[in-house]
Amino acid sequence: MVAAEPAVASNLFTIGAERLALLGKHHKALMQGYLDGFVDETVFSEAALKKLIAARILWRPDEQQPLALRPLVSELIASMVADENRRQINADVAEKLEQIRNRVQAYRDAQFKGDYSVAELQLQRLTEHVHDLSGQFEEAIDSLWHRLNSDFGFVASLDDKIRENERAQKQLRRLLDGLALLDFNELIELAEGNNHLRKLLVSQLQSQLSSHHSSLLEVQKRLVELLAKFRQQQARSLLIANMAAFLRQHPKYQPADYANRSELPALFNQAAAIVPKAAIALDNASERQVLAGLVRALPRQQSLTLPDTPGASFAVQWQDETIAARQQALKTDVENFYLRVIDHGGKLSALEYLAQQQLQWDSEIWLYQIIAEYQALPVDEKRMFAIVRDEAPASSMNQLLLIRDISLQLQAA
Amino acid sequence: MLQHGPLLERLLAGDFICRVTDEDAFRHLSDEQTQQDINHYLRPLNRRLVASDDSSVFFLGYQELTKQAREQLSSQFALTVQSLLPLLEWLQLVQETLGRDSALTAGDTIKLQEFVLRTEDNQSLRQRLNQLAGDRFFNSQSEQLDNQVKLIFRRLKEHGYLLQPHHDRQYYIVTGKIDYLIEVIRFIRDEEHLPVDDTPNQEALL
Repeated sequence: MVAAEPAVASNLFTIGAERLALLGKHHKALMQGYLDGFVDETVFSEAALKKLIAARILWRPDEQQPLALRPLVSELIASMVADENRRQINADVAEKLEQIRNRVQAYRDAQFKGDYSVAELQLQRLTEHVHDLSGQFEEAIDSLWHRLNSDFGFVASLDDKIRENERAQKQLRRLLDGLALLDFNELIELAEGNNHLRKLLVSQLQSQLSSHHSSLLEVQKRLVELLAKFRQQQARSLLIANMAAFLRQHPKYQPADYANRSELPALFNQAAAIVPKAAIALDNASERQVLAGLVRALPRQQSLTLPDTPGASFAVQWQDETIAARQQALKTDVENFYLRVIDHGGKLSALEYLAQQQLQWDSEIWLYQIIAEYQALPVDEKRMFAIVRDEAPASSMNQLLLIRDISLQLQAA
Repeated sequence: MLQHGPLLERLLAGDFICRVTDEDAFRHLSDEQTQQDINHYLRPLNRRLVASDDSSVFFLGYQELTKQAREQLSSQFALTVQSLLPLLEWLQLVQETLGRDSALTAGDTIKLQEFVLRTEDNQSLRQRLNQLAGDRFFNSQSEQLDNQVKLIFRRLKEHGYLLQPHHDRQYYIVTGKIDYLIEVIRFIRDEEHLPVDDTPNQEALL
């Protein structure tokens, strides 16, 4: 048996290495198969397919089914790429424990027989089993954290997230149950009197498992919190959808008048806005400097040059051409009067000008047109003229002011 | 009180203060001593600090419910009731358009352009948005999607449901006022025993 071991091992080595190489050789097609759920047989040669099946990488689950990756291979890939949709958690502790017990027994038997090389091998296997057990928890915890930290982002809908969270919580309970199966008194007994075993089974495993245990409890706490959050979000979405539906069905719906209840619900106590305003105050001498600065900083008003809009004119209403012509003549005369004022520079009386030029206009119309022309001027041109009305009350009883004459003068600019 | 001057001004102006709109102010308001100080200060103005049930948003209410106060609250409430359906429809529309798996909540970000792009290509979303924009609450006269969306978001910003961190960048953050709105809805639902469920029914669970 001692002699057979290395031979088997070397055989195992060649076969294992060959088959691992197969994985590498067809990596793209196999990965595509992982994603699609089945492999495209046409991309492989006949021989390659045979090899892959013999290597237990591919299999045909059913006569009718296409070739697919073996579950173990899928699982390996899922674990390597942390694909939480496919990653599996192995919570089976009982089996591992059984193996550990058997290995310890075999190791002790071999030692008892003095068969040290076998004992060495058994210890090696035992170490692997212990690491497997710890690694199994580590893998599971890694997967759980990964799912937690991505907020279960690998599924799309909130309902799916809630289901995934519940599934994760079940896995977690199984893991915790598994941990509970490990009885350290038993392990201490198993390791009794052997340094190697004690180090492996007691100090090392114990510290690893206790850290796994606290990690699991932390994950559990977070999972429960996250589930509560998911449920809250779900409740919110449903509330929004259902309330909107209700309001659509009952367009006239009016809730009770909460504002006038004796016990006003705090939610509806929403006061009217008060916008505080402040103005410049000059009562504080020390601030004058600042205020003066502010005033200086005000943008100066640009003198606005309005486009030359013609003033409202009565001419439009007179359809009769002769009247329109008379109106035009009157306007021209008034304009001449204004021009004279500008040339003359001094004060000029309207009625005196009328008499002087021997114009035919009625004095009232003449004055009226001068005022109208003045009003029609643009603002800044208006400023150029000082208009002075010579007016007096209609009678001692009537305070109505009658305009007797108008004098116009150029304003000093 | 001087240090809380700007905060008081915002509160008096009717703003809702939450973690999103003003984190510092919100932290101050969460302090009980500050709450007392502010209430003391506001007393002559007949105002007091009110917090939503989960203390996620603060605003001002009346200290004493005078007749005028009641009248104001009554009209305020009528406005709120009027705005419920358009706001709920908007919440649903955003959730569906952006393909979110949960309803909007304080702190969520909405990119206007993304919203427009996704609505453009979808006739039914387009139609619903069109209808929503025409609602009295938003009151859009435009037929153009871009303008409608902009107007809707601007109105929501004016009403304090959204915050636009940069004036010239078209993305918005949902404020705590949305959570307040949900609380209001829940309150009305409970108070009036409306047949509005927020737990999945048995069928969905199975």
